[in-house]
Amino acid sequence: MKKWFWVVVLYVVLATSTVFFLTPFIYALFNSFKSENEIFQVPQSFFPREIIFTNYESILEGHFIDYFMNSVLITVSGVLLIAILSSLAGYAFARLPFKGSHIILVALLLVITLPIAVFLIPMYLLEDSLGLLNTRLGLILPNVAVGLPFSIFIMRAAFIGIPKEIEESAQIDGCGIFQTWWRIMLPMARNGLITVIIFSFYVIWGEYTMAKVLATDQIAMPLTVGLTLLKGEAWALGTLSAVITLSMLPPIIIFILFQKQVVEGLSQGSIKG
Amino acid sequence: MEQVKKRKKSMSLQRQKRLYGILFILPAFIFVFAFMFYPIMYSAFMSLQDYNYVTDASPSFVGFENYKNAFQDPTFRVSMKNTLIYSSIYFISVMVISLFLALTLFNVKKFNAFFRTSIFIPIVVPLSLASIVFTWILQENIGLLNYFLGDILGLEQLTRGWLTEGKTAMGSIIGVGLWATIGFVTILFLGGLQSISPDILEAAEVDGATGWKKIFYVILPNLREAYILTGIWAIIQALKVFVEPMVMTHGGPGTSTLVMYQEIYFTAFTRFEMGYASAMAYILGIITLVFSLINFHINRSREDI
Repeated sequence: MKKWFWVVVLYVVLATSTVFFLTPFIYALFNSFKSENEIFQVPQSFFPREIIFTNYESILEGHFIDYFMNSVLITVSGVLLIAILSSLAGYAFARLPFKGSHIILVALLLVITLPIAVFLIPMYLLEDSLGLLNTRLGLILPNVAVGLPFSIFIMRAAFIGIPKEIEESAQIDGCGIFQTWWRIMLPMARNGLITVIIFSFYVIWGEYTMAKVLATDQIAMPLTVGLTLLKGEAWALGTLSAVITLSMLPPIIIFILFQKQVVEGLSQGSIKG
Repeated sequence: MEQVKKRKKSMSLQRQKRLYGILFILPAFIFVFAFMFYPIMYSAFMSLQDYNYVTDASPSFVGFENYKNAFQDPTFRVSMKNTLIYSSIYFISVMVISLFLALTLFNVKKFNAFFRTSIFIPIVVPLSLASIVFTWILQENIGLLNYFLGDILGLEQLTRGWLTEGKTAMGSIIGVGLWATIGFVTILFLGGLQSISPDILEAAEVDGATGWKKIFYVILPNLREAYILTGIWAIIQALKVFVEPMVMTHGGPGTSTLVMYQEIYFTAFTRFEMGYASAMAYILGIITLVFSLINFHINRSREDI
């Protein structure tokens, strides 16, 4: 009797929190199918009374496509660069130490904790002097830099976990260092690499602060910043719901597909980072 | 002779490895140097200058004047106070609620994966977009929360403009911060719970520690590592709060949700006082660093006892 009671309490707690965590998603999704009239109706109906798709059609107008393309291009190039550079550097920190490499590693560990606010002003001045403000490249580069330290730690851990004998036998077989890294070590570190790719995808896709500072022209903005400009404009509510729904889908789908990897990778990474 | 040759060969391999080590790290280092290491140093230099990017031709040295001014600046002080309020409430709430949820999940088998997924999902979506959705939910006339409180629960007296009143605006921003991050902290705590050896739990039960006693005397003291991990993460997360007030309230109403990060942003990128803003950013950076170290130290010294 007593035990039965506690089990019910546990499930009530979990069900309530699930409602709290999922409501915003469902609300945005439902609103994206409602007409303007229905959204502004008082009292409102949570569920759409009739499902319409005009909100999704109207995405094609306005700046939405620009924002979307910017987000996609910045994220894809950023993730690729982070994946390549962090697996190179991670391998070197794990297996090719040189004088001073340890100091660099410690420095990387320290910068992870600092808020981006500390870097923003020099970033802005640097990009302004190079003409990189309001360009996609101008957002790709700092995103890569900020994502690298954490990714390097994950890749380093992945390479450390591979037995040394494998590398040694590859070298006896006449593989050069680069070949060993590319042909033998990198495929074996693929779990780390997948974590890095997923993790940097989330971070760059959702990045707001640097984009807010470095992209002030609408045409150069990614979704995270561009959509916030429209939040106050009443007419956009339905369309905005549709865009937000679409923008949240990629990370959610990836999370559901790679859940185990994400959870393990993130908790592992935060232990080491 | 043979040995000497071998040593020579391994020497050159060693040298080659060092060379490749440098080559492999170099590209990543250039990125991190240009956008992080160099900015840290440049910010330090800039924080000692008086420099308006729009009106001044070049920076002029003013020593620690910017730091002194920052601590006397009423707006910056308000933003410090707000950041402190946000951080302390956020920190305590996120630790307590996440630990509580982790303990709950730890004791539940059916639908466990579903609950875990739904609690965790907020951290993977862009926070600025979630903040937009929350702005609607909290809106006075068409918002979902007021609809739920007023029309469904019949608690008309509780409905209000959540983001247009100072106190509830701060509360709302804390709520969104919690919404976005509780899942992550819960997963970390869950990892801690799962790493407690079953022997300890069994031994405790044999000794008669069950229910609450087991939780308070056996489980909670065994989560030390999880406390360090989540503690540092939560503090850093709290101090750098920026997106929610930017998107949801713009620091308002008045200055009631203006946080340090925002004041740095406004000083640097709407008033273009680069020197002054750099000093403010350094103050925030140092506070972040100090809190991380304190937390680390407390948990470490506890371990020694």
